[in-house]
Amino acid sequence: MPYKLFDVSKPIPERKEHTYVKHCDDPEGCLPKCNSKTIPGSMTERGCAFAGAKGVITGAIKDVAHVVHSPIGCTMYGYGSKRYPTTTEMPDGSQFPIKDFNIKYIIGTDLQESDVVFGGIKKLRQAVRETNREFPFVNAIYLYATCTTGLIGDDMDAVAKEMEEEIGKPVIAFNAPGFAGSTQSKGHQIGNNTLFDKIVGTTEPPATTPYDINFIGEYNIDGDLWLLKEYFDEIGINVLSTFTGDCCHNELGWMHRAKLSVVRCQRSSTYIAKMIEEEYGVPYIKTDFFSTEYCAENLRTVAKFFGLEDKADEVIARRMAKVGPELEFYKEKLTGKKVFIFSGGPKSYHLSIPLHNELGLETTGVSSMFEHEDGFEKMKDRVKEGALVIDDLNTLELEELIEDYDIDLILGGVKEKYLVHKLGIPSLLIHSYENGPYMGFEGFLNLARDMCSAIYSTVWNMLEFKEIEDPDVADVTREADVTREVAEEVEK
Amino acid sequence: MSCVNLIEKERNAIINPLKTCQPLGAMYAVTGVRRAVPLVHGSQGCSTFVRYSLSRHFREPSEIAVTSLHEDAAVFGGRRNLVEGLQNVAIRLKPSLIGVITTCSSEIIGDDVFGFIKTAKKELTEKIGEEKTEKIKIVPISTPSFVETHLKGYDNAVKALIDHVAEPSEPNEKINIIPGMVNPGDVREIKHILSLMDIEGIVLTDISDPFDSPLRPSTAELKPYYPKGGTTVEEIADSANSSGTLSLTKYAGSGALSLEKKYNVPAELGPLPIGVQNTDQFLRNLKKLTGQDITDDILDERGLLIDSMADLSSRYLHNRTVAIYGDPEITAGMARFVGELGMVPQLVLTGANNKEFVPDIENIAKDTGNEIDTMVGQDLRALEVYLKDNPVDLMIGSSDGRLIAKEVGIPLVRVGFPVYDRVGYHRHPVVGYNGGIHLIDMITNTVLENYYEHQHWKLQQ
Repeated sequence: MPYKLFDVSKPIPERKEHTYVKHCDDPEGCLPKCNSKTIPGSMTERGCAFAGAKGVITGAIKDVAHVVHSPIGCTMYGYGSKRYPTTTEMPDGSQFPIKDFNIKYIIGTDLQESDVVFGGIKKLRQAVRETNREFPFVNAIYLYATCTTGLIGDDMDAVAKEMEEEIGKPVIAFNAPGFAGSTQSKGHQIGNNTLFDKIVGTTEPPATTPYDINFIGEYNIDGDLWLLKEYFDEIGINVLSTFTGDCCHNELGWMHRAKLSVVRCQRSSTYIAKMIEEEYGVPYIKTDFFSTEYCAENLRTVAKFFGLEDKADEVIARRMAKVGPELEFYKEKLTGKKVFIFSGGPKSYHLSIPLHNELGLETTGVSSMFEHEDGFEKMKDRVKEGALVIDDLNTLELEELIEDYDIDLILGGVKEKYLVHKLGIPSLLIHSYENGPYMGFEGFLNLARDMCSAIYSTVWNMLEFKEIEDPDVADVTREADVTREVAEEVEK
Repeated sequence: MSCVNLIEKERNAIINPLKTCQPLGAMYAVTGVRRAVPLVHGSQGCSTFVRYSLSRHFREPSEIAVTSLHEDAAVFGGRRNLVEGLQNVAIRLKPSLIGVITTCSSEIIGDDVFGFIKTAKKELTEKIGEEKTEKIKIVPISTPSFVETHLKGYDNAVKALIDHVAEPSEPNEKINIIPGMVNPGDVREIKHILSLMDIEGIVLTDISDPFDSPLRPSTAELKPYYPKGGTTVEEIADSANSSGTLSLTKYAGSGALSLEKKYNVPAELGPLPIGVQNTDQFLRNLKKLTGQDITDDILDERGLLIDSMADLSSRYLHNRTVAIYGDPEITAGMARFVGELGMVPQLVLTGANNKEFVPDIENIAKDTGNEIDTMVGQDLRALEVYLKDNPVDLMIGSSDGRLIAKEVGIPLVRVGFPVYDRVGYHRHPVVGYNGGIHLIDMITNTVLENYYEHQHWKLQQ
């Protein structure tokens, strides 16, 4: 039977369809059910559409002010929570006045009961005016619908249009109220559609080259983008626009001028790459920069498009020389260790093969909060016989999984991390990383290092008090020696 | 001149909030009940964001269920979501109590939560029988996000728990404590004081273990994981029989007042025992309600705080100016304490809009002889703008002020919620005499590091 029902989920038997156990001879369409309504009260880890739009897509843009039209909670939770650093560099060579502006500021309308009854439009208008007064240097103002404003029916688009005329700079409404769709994925899509409809094609770049790409779905988590950009720079490829890591508003407007769109996060942003291709004829490729193997392969693919393979090979060789030996060390330590990957989406298929090929880890299973069928197909393809492929894994199932399977490390999020620890197993933050960046050559080394220090942390050998008859023979364990060895190696 | 200088808000919009909405406070309160599950009736963000906020502050699991309202529920109502959600939580998690927490969406849709709970109970009885169903207390907690703040949500939750669970029987000679939204370290300090006075307490609710739980797989309650500790349902029931209720916050005292009104349990509200005088008052209140003596052991702990103050305050802290921001009771408590330390509470700022706050600060201004700039219902942007024109020596508040502190070059002593960029702050008290000792150490060390280090010879004793 390719599907499994966790014991803890017997009272909600529909969970069975969401939990697939890989059998190599299963037909192609054999996948877990996904991207469907969440079972109420199932202890889901999923988030909302607002989180998908503001938290993932637009929150990385450096020069816009974000106005959340909501009771105070959504504004508070949209504030500075994601690891999206930005610089002050603007594409025309000028400087934006505030570094990390996107992390530092958020604006909210703080809706009260009377606004719910009489509508919040007036407040929204005022908030836009005040935002423009407070931060006159921003290049656009983005407005966000939330559950409340979706339900009371405030016409955000009308306000955006009206205010754009009044203040003379782009004002854009994102209509992704929290209840839209079944996961944050709906918010990604609305974010893509809105940015495409309202911005792409509205500006022209200060300069172009024959080697211009759009780097789409790269949000600069913990500096991922800055690292990957180094590689492109060295190859001679020019990142004309990033969607949306460390990017500016205008940059999104000239995405139609690139020669190629390189899609990094395939779940959250293939939409816009497709639309740009359809409307402006810019081709796109889906890529993967996790691990040295994928990174090298995809750098070559992108370089090949521009006839720059030799350059790419040089960059790859240089970077590999830098990280290769240390990765070998970690491979030795990590070989045979078992990992379960619980990501939001694509990381659940990006990581399984490289973790095995390059670091020797076995993937016991993968799960995703909001991935769709195409993503689950890849997840399934890239794990071995018997591995679990799960949609929307819930807390209780996570517990059963840890109890029943021999797992050495969970890659997950903050919400799961501390629970996993209580069960006696290390866990590593894979959404926003621990000591990232995790992408690219150096990034993969960071990930290997973090995994090794998590698994070999001495604490896991000291979980329980042990009675020893002769206290004099108490000795540190072999694993503790390995911890020291790792520390020494890193020191070197 | 000693007075309050009320600075009006210059904007309508909030920039960088210093408050959040009601449901978080309710989820926090329900987590303090033994084997209880908060079930949020709303969109998934309403639980996910809060779990994220709580987990990163406490570095602990925060297990919260949600009814996952999608578009269809927004149009047709969330009846099925809540009825099914309740049963799923009841059957799979076998909780002692479920707190059904509403949100902006469920309140606007106008879901009949009471009615839905009835339906869910009926269906649950058919599935698992009456006995098992009756064992699970289901408490509706109305927390519309567009009214007041997280503190109101906490208040509403504590009151709802009391109203639905408290049951009069025999007097128990215990004292009820409503601690407010404080840290595990604070609740432990309160319990420590009670034990020194030989008073048995019922903490409504006790988050000390749930939000700071030991890692011991061999003893952990698993599948489902429930943290150690928390107030039992029986204890909440017994709260109707206590000799008094002390709410350590005036801003969330309605549970205490409800017990007084319904069951004649006398209520005393606030202040949060931060600093010497507030803690003295707390002890006097305890004595008043229980008749227990204030023991020598406690007075020795008081003496340790006084000893630290004698050693440190005039030498290092005198006349140093402070800006304090955060929840009203912590802000007011800190303002009084820094005044006791000879420092100047130059600015106090709170995101909430509670009417009790300004009179509180007026009293502090009078008692400490300071003119205190006061901002009510304001935000972190207001703090930033103020500090650029009116620098102070020290900021005291949550991690959310960390970037401002860096920008204006003023050292930040982290107090309150959330603290996510430093560790251990949830574990150490700010309340009680021990909290005072911890605070004076933190404040003094910050002063030494920032204002003495460059002339290191002054650091020699």
